[in-house]
Amino acid sequence: MTSALRPPATDVDLFAPDVVADPFPVLAEVRALGPVVYSTRHDIYVLTRYDDVRAATGDWRSLTSAKGVALTDEFNEQLVGSVLASDPPEHNALRGILSEKLAPRGLAKVRDQISADAHRLVADLVARRTFDGVADVARVFPVNVVADLVGLPVEGREKLQPGADATFAGFGPFNDYVMAHLPHLQAYTEWMGTMADRSKLTPGGWGEAVMDAVDEGRLTQLGAIKTLSAYLVAGMDTTVNAISALMRLFAERQDVWAAVKADQRLAPQFFEEVLRLETPVVGFFRVATREITFGGSVVPAGAKVLLHWAAANRDPAKYPDPDTFHIDRKPLDHVAFGYGPHACTGQGLARMEAAALLEALATQASTIELTGDPVRGRNPVVRGYESVPLRVTPEKPA
Amino acid sequence: MIIEVDRAVCEGHGLCEQTSPEIFEVDEEGYSRVLVGEITPDLRAAAESGARACPVAALFLLRS
Repeated sequence: MTSALRPPATDVDLFAPDVVADPFPVLAEVRALGPVVYSTRHDIYVLTRYDDVRAATGDWRSLTSAKGVALTDEFNEQLVGSVLASDPPEHNALRGILSEKLAPRGLAKVRDQISADAHRLVADLVARRTFDGVADVARVFPVNVVADLVGLPVEGREKLQPGADATFAGFGPFNDYVMAHLPHLQAYTEWMGTMADRSKLTPGGWGEAVMDAVDEGRLTQLGAIKTLSAYLVAGMDTTVNAISALMRLFAERQDVWAAVKADQRLAPQFFEEVLRLETPVVGFFRVATREITFGGSVVPAGAKVLLHWAAANRDPAKYPDPDTFHIDRKPLDHVAFGYGPHACTGQGLARMEAAALLEALATQASTIELTGDPVRGRNPVVRGYESVPLRVTPEKPA
Repeated sequence: MIIEVDRAVCEGHGLCEQTSPEIFEVDEEGYSRVLVGEITPDLRAAAESGARACPVAALFLLRS
């Protein structure tokens, strides 16, 4: 190995609070250093360019998930064998249990219910006029949609979003944020541990289907808890944060709001552009199974690699003027949901939830504006908001 | 050149159809279906971008 092939290095901590608060200037610097950059701080190789990230995300043979997709060994021990932390062919059976419910063809029968829920929620918000896009919408709607689909009792649902937030943070370094949020993770884990039990689950829900898989020998009891958790954790913070970002966008970009009011069929492509810009899950890790070369720089076998989806989605070589929401961009090939065998199983549900909420808002609200400054969240792995204070006016004044 | 749909992988997200409706549609069973046989040179760009939009990598362009 010659030193000429060694990737450039950075001592920046991509998970530090100051970087999390404003990551994109730092990510642009890292991207400019080279196709792969070694992070001395965490002993990881970071991919930030769209073409590399996308190809690497699809290449499970060279970059395995089976050793875990988090940074630390401690967290990976908890993940190994789950749908996230496995490779084909084992992965396919685990994914199948989720995707038979979550693939759009499985979701057709719940579309009307989700749409009715969205309209009811928005009617309540419009009647109130002022509300918080995070506390009153983004942290309510996906939580109840997913919990209803799984068939969870109402009592205890308040543990889901904080638990999911803490879980996602755990994929990164065990820094102050993770430590401060451990109690949420513990409360959620304890509660979830009691849910792999038919007597707690509404008949006909996804939870019951998971318990059927246990009875049929396709899953163990522990596997059932992990599978339920996969639905719940993944279904929370990601959608919560994408919806928060969308509401902020509407309030700040009157051209976007006017466009979706005029033609609601534009809502899906606007959601994709928000996902590209925000990329709620910034990235997951893989382990190189062999030496891999990116543009002449070598990642050694056994190295931990960060697939930085948030950086890839703002690569100017792929998306010109990447930091701006473009109304006509339609970036359907973004990597906010990952890509390939491990692509988010719930992406169809996320799209359905967003479309339902957008349609309800565009139908019932006439104007939408901010009443204060949005507050960003500090989670180092899931980008999002703590607060987006909003005011709306009804479409047809009473 | 033809397009192959891997039905074991396709989940019916429909991004192929959204990108290139002249080439792809999601059928009644919720799987991607290719509407044209041979991908002629004039269809190639649309076929490639539609296949590229597949989030689960279920679409392949093959030499016929």
